[in-house]
Amino acid sequence: MAGSALRRLMAEYKQLTINPPEGIIAGPINEENFFEWEALITGPEGTCFEGGIFPAKLHFPPDYPLSPPKMEFTCEMFHPNIYADGRVCISILHAPGDDPMGYESSAERWSPVQSVEKILLSVVSMLAEPNDESGANVDAAKMWREDREQFNKIAEKLVRKTLSLE
Amino acid sequence: MKALLATVISLGLTTVVIGNAYYQKKQFYPSIVYLTNSNPSMAVMYLQAFILVLLVGKLLRKIFFGQLRPAEFEHLIERSWYAITETCLAFTVFRDDFNPKFIALFTLLLFLKAFHWLAEDRVDYMERSPVIGLLFHVRILTLLMLLAHADFYFIHHAYQFTAVKGPSVQLVFGFEYSILIIMIVNILIKYVLHAIDSRWEAPWESKAAVLLYTELAINFLKVLLYIGFVAVMVRIYTLPLFAFRPMYETMRSFKKAYNDVVLSRRAIRNMNTLYPDATPAELAAADNECIICREEMHTGAKKLPCNHIFHAACLRLWFQRQQTCPTCRLNVLRAPAPEAAAGAPGPAAPAPPLAGLAPHAAPAPPPPGPVPPPFPNMPPPPPMMAWGMPPPPPPRPASLANLTTAELQRMEGNERRNIEARLQLLREIQAMLDASVLLMQQYSTVVANLPQNNVTVSTQTETRIEELTKESPSTTQGKSEPDVVPTTSSYKQPSPVPSTSKTIVTEDTSPMQPDTTTPVDTNRDKTDVDAADELRRRRLQKFALDK
Ligand SMILES: [Zn+2]
Ligand SMILES: [Zn+2]
Repeated sequence: MAGSALRRLMAEYKQLTINPPEGIIAGPINEENFFEWEALITGPEGTCFEGGIFPAKLHFPPDYPLSPPKMEFTCEMFHPNIYADGRVCISILHAPGDDPMGYESSAERWSPVQSVEKILLSVVSMLAEPNDESGANVDAAKMWREDREQFNKIAEKLVRKTLSLE
Repeated sequence: MKALLATVISLGLTTVVIGNAYYQKKQFYPSIVYLTNSNPSMAVMYLQAFILVLLVGKLLRKIFFGQLRPAEFEHLIERSWYAITETCLAFTVFRDDFNPKFIALFTLLLFLKAFHWLAEDRVDYMERSPVIGLLFHVRILTLLMLLAHADFYFIHHAYQFTAVKGPSVQLVFGFEYSILIIMIVNILIKYVLHAIDSRWEAPWESKAAVLLYTELAINFLKVLLYIGFVAVMVRIYTLPLFAFRPMYETMRSFKKAYNDVVLSRRAIRNMNTLYPDATPAELAAADNECIICREEMHTGAKKLPCNHIFHAACLRLWFQRQQTCPTCRLNVLRAPAPEAAAGAPGPAAPAPPLAGLAPHAAPAPPPPGPVPPPFPNMPPPPPMMAWGMPPPPPPRPASLANLTTAELQRMEGNERRNIEARLQLLREIQAMLDASVLLMQQYSTVVANLPQNNVTVSTQTETRIEELTKESPSTTQGKSEPDVVPTTSSYKQPSPVPSTSKTIVTEDTSPMQPDTTTPVDTNRDKTDVDAADELRRRRLQKFALDK
């Protein structure tokens, strides 16, 4: 019998394929390796990211779901909770105990109850409502707070880029 | 593409160099002599040899591994850099042995190491790959066999060399290949486990435990080897700096393996003792799905105090990381076990830790039978009725020294800090009580030295009592003495309890006071001693004067 991590990833993949949440597509890049996924996330409606289709990668640890996966956007992003290299910094992706930013309560952290679907939905809501206390991208956080107009402009430009309009 | 270019260039250079030598000397042996004496020619030959080694490596990699995954490749590059740095460090120790053969041997070592690493990564990957074909098994088994042979050969060679010619750089090779052979054993065990597991239809629950113990044993062996190697090197040469990083890593993984085993054992014990098996009805109510593995639960499911149900095996793995309910994050170590929950007012009851107050008193005897787990909120003992009554025995030895390490660890976190704070507080109280006893003694000395007419009789008697109780520590009547009150030894044998006061009192009052041994009676004595009080005082006074 295959490892429990593999079985759970297969189960989640099946679930996501049968019953995909709106605006989200996700699955293994290559069906021979279930520990590397790619995902496409649609920018939430009514936000500056509306209309964009943002590609991302998910890396699952060998002991998934005991440890959380890592997620990074593979397109250019400008967002308070996304590092310059694309890594996503939200509490659901952090195991309780490691708190890089020192602001998260353990109630929102990773536990085996979470899933790929929940992660991606959290990322969608993160796009809609950035947490400007996290310092993953300090410039973006500052601009989000102080110059929303400029922030929206940059976001719209990124949206156009993901649609290959620019 | 770059590799191809390098190959072509080096091949061209080699041809030119050899051609040149042959052109100049016309004969085979003179050409060889010419080549070996010319530094530029030798440099070209070394480059060629290096390129050849790389080519052979590539070929073997293709044969045994096919295409490397990106993660494997990154891993390989990272480890290679470390190994090359450490090899350069090793060169500084063995400057005297420095010659082409030496470099060739180190290159070979690196080369073989790289294959060990790749084999390890591949076998680790077995568990995560949905498709494992026959080719995989053939490749891995052949590779492991070849590597094991090579390791054995070099260990043997190093041993022979050292035995005949004394210590040399061969010590390093012998040691490095021993580490590699241990690695082979580890890989082989993992391979067998994964291979067996992949044939079974049902999840193999004890596999994780077997892997855990293998890890522990392997790392222990490695740590021993490293320590031995460093000791030998320090004796013969100098500190082997090049071995420090891998030694540190090995010790760290040994510590991790040890912690994992401890955590796992604790998780299993808690699982077996604290949480009940879920009943079929409860399983049905929970949709039969285990939220950890997303698979159905049939048997072996456990129910946590918060009523959430999981596979016992899944829960055990999770508890090795964290002692919380995966669903609601209830801290299961702090949560009361269902049956202990009722009527337990919490850990603030001051009575049990009192026993820990008297570190110099006789140690409490270990409770009979298995030690109950130290629940933070165990039911407190009934409150003490009045002074003079021996305190009820604490339900468990609360003295810090009597707890085993495992038990202390179980109380770790906040609980442990709370208990330490509480003990600290109680120690302070003890110190204060000691101080007041001392003060009383000083008073009594002062009072004793005062002229008789300045003191009322009653005061003197009181202080005498104070002294008396001090001089006879076997009594539990000494209420001002914190040392005596809670010790087990004193309430284990309550018969001599009323000794001092009784013997004095009963000299005259024995007919009306039966010899009472129970503490309750002693207590009653104290409440209706009005009549006897005067007598006793006089007796005491007399006793004191006699002294
Ligand atoms: Zn399960
Ligand atoms: Zn729960």
